[in-house]
Amino acid sequence: MSKAHVRNGEGLSGYFFVLPAVIFMVAFIGYPIIYNFVMSFQKVDIMTLKSATREFIGLANFREIFSAPELAISIGNTVMYTAGCLVIQFVIGFLLAVFFNLGFGFQEKLRGLMTVAWMIPSTVVALLFKFMLSPSSGIINYLLVATGVVKEPIGWLISQKTALWGVIFANSWIGIPFNMILLSTGLTSIPGELYESASIDGASSIRKFTSITVPLLKPAIYSVLVLGFIYTFKVFDLIYVMTNGGPVHATEVLSTYAYKLSFVMYRFSEGAAAANVLFVCLFVVGLGYLKLIREGEEIQS
Amino acid sequence: MKIKRSSLRNAGLDIVGLAVTVCFLFPLYWIFISSLKTNAEIFRVDQTFWPTSVSFVAYVDQLKGELNIVRPFFNSLIIATGSMVLSMCLGIPAAYGLARFELYGKKSIIMSFLVTQMLPPTLILTPLYLIFARFGLINSYLSPVIADSTIAIPFIILFLRTYFIGLPKGLEDAARVDGCSRFGAFARIILPISTPGIVTALSFSFIFAWNDLIYAMTYMNETVMRPMTAGIYNFMSKYGIEWNRIMAYGVVLVLPVVIIFVVLQKYIIGGMTSGAVKG
Amino acid sequence: MKKILAILSGLLLVSFLVSAEPTEVKLWHYFSGPDAPWFEKVVSDFNASQTKVKVTSQMVPREELLKQYTIGLVGGNLPDIGMVDNPEHASFSAMGLFLDISDRMKGWEGDGKFFKGPWKSCVYQGKVYGIPHNSNCLALYYNTDMLKAAGVTPPTTWDELTAACKKLTKPGVYGLAICGIGNEEGTFQFLPWILSSGATVEKMDSPESIKSLTYLTDLIKKGYMSSEVINWTQADAEKQFATGRAAMMVNGPWNLSAVKTDAPSMNWNLTKIPKDKVYASVLGGENFGIIYNSKHANEAWEFLKYMSLPNVMESFAMAAGKFPPRSDVMNNSKYWKSDPLLKVFAEQMEFAMPRGPHPKWPEISSAIFTAYQESFTMTKSPTQALKDAQKKIDKALVK
Repeated sequence: MSKAHVRNGEGLSGYFFVLPAVIFMVAFIGYPIIYNFVMSFQKVDIMTLKSATREFIGLANFREIFSAPELAISIGNTVMYTAGCLVIQFVIGFLLAVFFNLGFGFQEKLRGLMTVAWMIPSTVVALLFKFMLSPSSGIINYLLVATGVVKEPIGWLISQKTALWGVIFANSWIGIPFNMILLSTGLTSIPGELYESASIDGASSIRKFTSITVPLLKPAIYSVLVLGFIYTFKVFDLIYVMTNGGPVHATEVLSTYAYKLSFVMYRFSEGAAAANVLFVCLFVVGLGYLKLIREGEEIQS
Repeated sequence: MKIKRSSLRNAGLDIVGLAVTVCFLFPLYWIFISSLKTNAEIFRVDQTFWPTSVSFVAYVDQLKGELNIVRPFFNSLIIATGSMVLSMCLGIPAAYGLARFELYGKKSIIMSFLVTQMLPPTLILTPLYLIFARFGLINSYLSPVIADSTIAIPFIILFLRTYFIGLPKGLEDAARVDGCSRFGAFARIILPISTPGIVTALSFSFIFAWNDLIYAMTYMNETVMRPMTAGIYNFMSKYGIEWNRIMAYGVVLVLPVVIIFVVLQKYIIGGMTSGAVKG
Repeated sequence: MKKILAILSGLLLVSFLVSAEPTEVKLWHYFSGPDAPWFEKVVSDFNASQTKVKVTSQMVPREELLKQYTIGLVGGNLPDIGMVDNPEHASFSAMGLFLDISDRMKGWEGDGKFFKGPWKSCVYQGKVYGIPHNSNCLALYYNTDMLKAAGVTPPTTWDELTAACKKLTKPGVYGLAICGIGNEEGTFQFLPWILSSGATVEKMDSPESIKSLTYLTDLIKKGYMSSEVINWTQADAEKQFATGRAAMMVNGPWNLSAVKTDAPSMNWNLTKIPKDKVYASVLGGENFGIIYNSKHANEAWEFLKYMSLPNVMESFAMAAGKFPPRSDVMNNSKYWKSDPLLKVFAEQMEFAMPRGPHPKWPEISSAIFTAYQESFTMTKSPTQALKDAQKKIDKALVK
């Protein structure tokens, strides 16, 4: 930080406000990120984790993880999981937002009540849905069988084919209220006069939706999708508790795989490499979002 | 604003809305009701939507023995409160500084706080472990407190900065005329009128830390030190698939969050819509 | 004279004060089933038997404990005494977790009195890193009433087992429950099937191994065994059996008391795990070692010696449903040979094969449990799963 830029004492006291937090974040986020980056080019296992000097092995960690089938499976699952969650959350969240915007007595209260799901610890949501989805004592299978939808209980989290859908289902439950609330706020900010004048012009409901609601809702839609992406793509707790990536990697995602490499197999440098792959994916999408926010701020100011 | 609508339509929508909400929140009902059942009833072929006899055995058992629920509950409380205090001490002034001062590199600072919200915890897990190990912080409350604060601080800064920008500029100037220092003006004028924003930030930072699993699980291996989220593993290995106990554990873990939510609902929804990213 | 008395009483006081402050020795274990209180009793009896050492024990779940040991080597938080599953002992010895106690063997009454299998699991590169504490193996539990109702006799061969399962399986009841979880516990349950067909751990892709895995996978395919076994621990399998949701299960002697408590009115019995070519069982059991950096190694050794005393070992093993790893204790006692249930396990103990010992055992085991999980979930064919496992084993052994 150059002193020349600080014009008077005012500026200095500004740093006094900001610096503690910045130093904290540099120490506990910035430094670890760099450390992790360096570590992904070194050979670090349980024997060398503590030692000061470590052997640099170039891209060997990346080569190792990319040659194992698990990484491709994890990436595939992460993408599927993220896409599945985003679609379900968004569609249902959107429908609910529209519904709870129709204007009726309880709408505020009920909409508010539903948001509680978003705050429940993932650990609990995971256990709860694991319980509800279990073949032997789960309520979901019970209802499916009782209503004749299926003949036999489905081993949702036990079968390779359905396990990923099981975790998508659980995460969507958390994500729907988030989508709903953000989209609701967007909807209420659309001035009612726009619809009224469109009605006078004889526009149909569909036409009003496509030419008024959707374009004006764009900022809210973008932020819901991008924030949803970030939150979903880096999922750990939910899957770790619900399936631990199983059965046989059927729900293995990048974070659980990176975690396992580091803290189950103790191949710390390979774990670091996998975490970096995850970070790059998030960063690319995140940058797009930041650009969006910047544009938003420029408009604001 | 809708001007006229029939009360019939209104009532109809209320009923549909109620039904939708009830269906959506059914899992919360289920966790509670299952915690009041005996394990035999849970494993019965015919499911019951209300326990045939309400049993508190799942709760009572967890108050006894070495692996009881009391200690993890207080551990969670200590960690969440600790993280909340630390993040507030660092986050509020920083939010204010970034809202009110022209600082060199301000844009980059704000940007990098935004970036940290995208970070997967697994990215910093091992390096933080080594830092904590070097300073002997493994198995102290400080390690999850610090790690959880790395999620809460950026949130607080980004959220409160917008909040502070929204306050009229003249406020501090008036105080400064009265001879207050910049910090004095901040403490005496800005903080008191920012209560709603601060309460939102407070509850979010508390909940981030309360809900955390990965940091506590990695940095605390002493069973008695673990918070409820991480303690669930010790608990499950003891009881196996005894769902009534696990659900009772879940109820206790969820309760503070629900209480905070009920009391501060308005603020929390405000925080969500400000673009909060869950940790 | 007065002076001397004063000094003497002073010395007495000092020694009293010193002895009033016993050295605290931390111990980690993972006994969490019906065996847990009996182990706690060994600890409290030891603490009451003398005044110099106080052992404080802590239960840490098994999988968690492995993680704690490993990262504890870095983070520095370790107990003075640690329990370890015997196949994993060698790898931790290689990592340097346990203290070399070879020197303490001289003059110790227990030296040379242990069975070869358990003892060798404590030895790595000729040095002793721990003491076996208990042994166990597996057998087939069966629900007598269900078998009678279905008109089957306890199966002794794989063919009989399939036939029995076919008759026993009905809505809500599976023929057989095993533990097929993806960790060492599952490997322990899986290996008897491998060994019974004449296969060996060294060649997991042999036709015999493939036959074994195909056999078990078919039990799931035919619906005789739940596909949920991939998530079940041995404790979970016990719950299935005790609640009548499985007519038979494979489990160890430590769950005898659990079945008795959970299903007091059920009629059940034991037999050997059905065989293909030979009866096979795998040696299970836990060892205790002193942690490498313990400041109280001498005090810790006092506890290990106490825990290995013939009478202490015998009464723990009897109460907790285990077998003593000391041959003299086993041979001098009638208990295991006369109890009708334990007799079945005792017979299996004679040919129970140890896993390893090998410093790379965790990786070998990981390859094995991945293979059966892949097959049980129909992700891969048994042949493909085992071929892939063999590749991983070969790679681990070269490294």
